[in-house]
Amino acid sequence: MAMHPMEQFEVKPLIEHPLFSIGHHDIYFTNQSLFMVIVVAAASLFLTLAMSGNRLIPSRAQSMAEMSYEFVANMIHSSAGEDGLRFFPFIFTTFIFVLFCNIFGMVPWSFTVTSQIAITFALTAFILSMVIVVGFVKHGFGFLKLFVPDAPIYLLVLLVPIEIISFFTRLVSLSVRLFANMLAGHTMLAVFAGFVVMLGAAGGVLSILSIGPMLMIVAIMLLELLVAALQAYVFAILTCIYLNEALHLHDHH
Amino acid sequence: MSDTGPDDLQRLGARLDAAERKRATGDQRPPPTQASIAFRFGTEMIAGLLVGGGMGWGLDWLFGHFGFHTKPWLMIVFFVLGAAAGIRGVMRAANELNAQMAAAPAAPSVKQDDEEN
Repeated sequence: MAMHPMEQFEVKPLIEHPLFSIGHHDIYFTNQSLFMVIVVAAASLFLTLAMSGNRLIPSRAQSMAEMSYEFVANMIHSSAGEDGLRFFPFIFTTFIFVLFCNIFGMVPWSFTVTSQIAITFALTAFILSMVIVVGFVKHGFGFLKLFVPDAPIYLLVLLVPIEIISFFTRLVSLSVRLFANMLAGHTMLAVFAGFVVMLGAAGGVLSILSIGPMLMIVAIMLLELLVAALQAYVFAILTCIYLNEALHLHDHH
Repeated sequence: MSDTGPDDLQRLGARLDAAERKRATGDQRPPPTQASIAFRFGTEMIAGLLVGGGMGWGLDWLFGHFGFHTKPWLMIVFFVLGAAAGIRGVMRAANELNAQMAAAPAAPSVKQDDEEN
């Protein structure tokens, strides 16, 4: 088969020579880097231009920017409380970045940045390290109480390691959730697109049948747009929930 | 008109209270589909095993550098602990889902309610 459904996820350098190297690793400017630059530029441009009018009665673009602002602010307020709002810039940036990456990935021939485990894992690792730092800054060593459930001493020997492991499982579950959703959706699209090509090439009655997978692609495309927005939301709200835990320790129980 | 007035106001007040409560409890997430629930449980479990096993392996490696030959025992112990953490994660996810379902009684159909219990 000429077109492999996983081909779209291939990371390849766009410039022959490495930009620079760290240790023995050469750092290349890849298609992935290019799309991250595009996404960041597009998001910044959109939000800046949309708000540049700053009208009392917002234009369409301005109300989109305002709605996303309010949406994220409400989300933080409801899941991490009043003092969670100090982290608004961080969570808003994360949300917009993931959202734009997902949406830009829906454009044909584009590259979906969030379909790479390296990207989602790095994002998650950064978020979790921030949560740990915030926890220690806010509570000092009292933050470690997060890993000590209410239980008799002799059980704690077993429960504390389990709690610590379960804290770090977020590293995997959060990154894999985003990555797997994007990967699965895009692979499915490519597979159905492959069916269209194969049926079309088969000739005769089979060529007419190729309209079936074609319609399927349209439906999956719509579903994927929903998934793109939903996964960005899930990513952001889980960040809020983890921040809430670091800020308020066991209050949420 | 004048007798319905207070009634209307009360009803409006009740609706406002309900809206406020919904806002306070926060979760505006749409009810998850069966597939996403299954996926969530799967990742929680596998994440526990991976992180547990990985941590044990890392500790073995670390201790090995200081001359303690714990290999492969810490990995085995942590793998089991990781399984426990994974199950705990699944239980936590199930609790969250139950709470979410209870908070939004209007959303799921009766059939889904039965499946949940």
